[in-house]
Amino acid sequence: MEKSLKPPLEREVRPLSSGGGQARSGASAITGAGSIGCAGSKGLAVMVEALHKTYSTGGKEVQALRGVSLGIGKGEVFGLLGPNGAGKTTLVKILATLLRASGGRAEVGGYDVGREADKVRRIIGYAGQDSERSAYFRLTVRENLLYFAHALRDVPVSSARERIERISSSIGFEDRLDKHFISLSGGEKQLVVVMRAIIHEPEVCFLDEPSKSLDPLTARRVRDFLKSYAREKGMTICLTTHNMREAEEFCDRIGFINHGQLRFTGTPADFKRSVTVKEVLEISSPMLDGAVEERLRSIPGVSNSASSESTVRLYCDDASKVLNEVLAVLNDFGIKAHLSMIEPSLEDAFAVFVGNDAGG
Amino acid sequence: MARALKLFYMAVWRNFLVLTRYKANFLFEILTSLFIGGCMLILSAAFDTSMLGEMVGSTNYVAFMIFGISFQSWQGTALWSAADLFRGELSTGQIDYTFSCPFSRYWYIVSNIAAQAVQSTIFFVPMFCVGLWFTGETLTFPGLLLGLAATTISVAGLAQLGAIFAALVLKYRQVTAIFGFFNLAFQFLTGMFIPFQLLPAPLQALGFGLPITFGMDLLRHYVMGTRPLMVVEYEWIALFAQLVALSAAAKFFVSWLERNAKEEGLHYI
Repeated sequence: MEKSLKPPLEREVRPLSSGGGQARSGASAITGAGSIGCAGSKGLAVMVEALHKTYSTGGKEVQALRGVSLGIGKGEVFGLLGPNGAGKTTLVKILATLLRASGGRAEVGGYDVGREADKVRRIIGYAGQDSERSAYFRLTVRENLLYFAHALRDVPVSSARERIERISSSIGFEDRLDKHFISLSGGEKQLVVVMRAIIHEPEVCFLDEPSKSLDPLTARRVRDFLKSYAREKGMTICLTTHNMREAEEFCDRIGFINHGQLRFTGTPADFKRSVTVKEVLEISSPMLDGAVEERLRSIPGVSNSASSESTVRLYCDDASKVLNEVLAVLNDFGIKAHLSMIEPSLEDAFAVFVGNDAGG
Repeated sequence: MARALKLFYMAVWRNFLVLTRYKANFLFEILTSLFIGGCMLILSAAFDTSMLGEMVGSTNYVAFMIFGISFQSWQGTALWSAADLFRGELSTGQIDYTFSCPFSRYWYIVSNIAAQAVQSTIFFVPMFCVGLWFTGETLTFPGLLLGLAATTISVAGLAQLGAIFAALVLKYRQVTAIFGFFNLAFQFLTGMFIPFQLLPAPLQALGFGLPITFGMDLLRHYVMGTRPLMVVEYEWIALFAQLVALSAAAKFFVSWLERNAKEEGLHYI
């Protein structure tokens, strides 16, 4: 692979501009220069500084990114979390030279994504969201990968063939190589897209929801492979995900983005700790509905709630203090439920973060 | 240039694999080409050959039409194959991957058009051969070579317009109406199916601006022995000048339209 990287950035990176969010208590690394680099500003594979992106749609301007600043170290696996429409994909597309930023600066491998786009493209891999149709249907997996690697990524044919064999056997996909792309399942197509993103051994790989269509076992296999591959090749991975398990198990650090602002960067463990919720009371009953959840959430001492099918989770500092009130509400509605205290998970931290942002 | 060559031969390889895997469609493409050639044989009796003789110096209406149709198939390839490629990539999302790769967008488009032209030639050959058979008296080997050279330069010029149309897809997503307008205009303004000399002067002026006009005129002149629209040397100069000017315009527009398209993002029609 062509190697002509400039020296790593050594500049001090300014804290977030006025568009950036306020630091939360217990999450001191959310904003400011301290959050830019995992090890100072040296050794950064990705550097983003006060990045803005505004879309014009139907005469209205929508701010997708509002002063995002971020640093991702070389060889790091970095996950971008956030609700739908938060700005994750916009950020990744700007870094992959697919979108133009409206303001601010971004560098990948020391190259400016706007002015040195072609140099950036030489060192990145990319797998977009919803791209499981994005290959030639009537070509086999092997032919597709060979075409993309050799024609579009300049990998010699012999190397491309060897890498196709090696990567596919690492993820147990070798028996699918000679099947037409169209005959694969959605998850298998997604695997091909991920393989395509790394076939040229990029220095930085951007993966937008890479495990979206994968079953849990395959997703784990792909994560394990990518992690060991990244370690072996020194590859930096920046991925977006809604899969909290993926973020927890796969990522060295995560960034939480909402309303176009980066609200947190740190390890998954830091993220959980940063949320001012200490306990989670989980209530399970098939009779739970929106009205019940509304009443439960209004109990003093409950900071937030999240619901899924037949389960409501209440986030609070001290569950024992709200327990009597909870039982009273359930009694009012005539609901028999199973109650349990659980450790806050990354998913809970995510829900609390999103809920707090929504509440201003 | 080596990169462009690689893009070209890999696109040829990819296209042929895809083409032969849609077997029924492949068969009917060939049948259509033969069918049109056959129909021309039957229809030849109905043409007013004396009018054609006065206009262009040849009464061979069948060959005149066949070369027009052959040219149209290459025109379609040159003008629209890259736009179709991008429309397909936009709808499947492949465009994002493609544009995250390091290569000249201009050469990517031109290489893909050239690869598609190789494919179109398969279907062009039967029709073209029927046309040649009808020109038995006037056909010479040097004439055939010069005619094909003029055709190639003309198609290369058209491919530059095709590159601009492809880049328009990036920005405007849906360009079928633009396709329809220009396709029709090009057919009538260039003497593809009716003698160019029949067109009113203002339309002829427009036609002289299009590379097909000179390419087709030179092909017919060298192969059929028709009277050229102007001195052949001037036609060759005009063809080359159009190729250079359109290449410069295409490079500029491809880069400009890509930059513009990236304000909103490439994916999704």
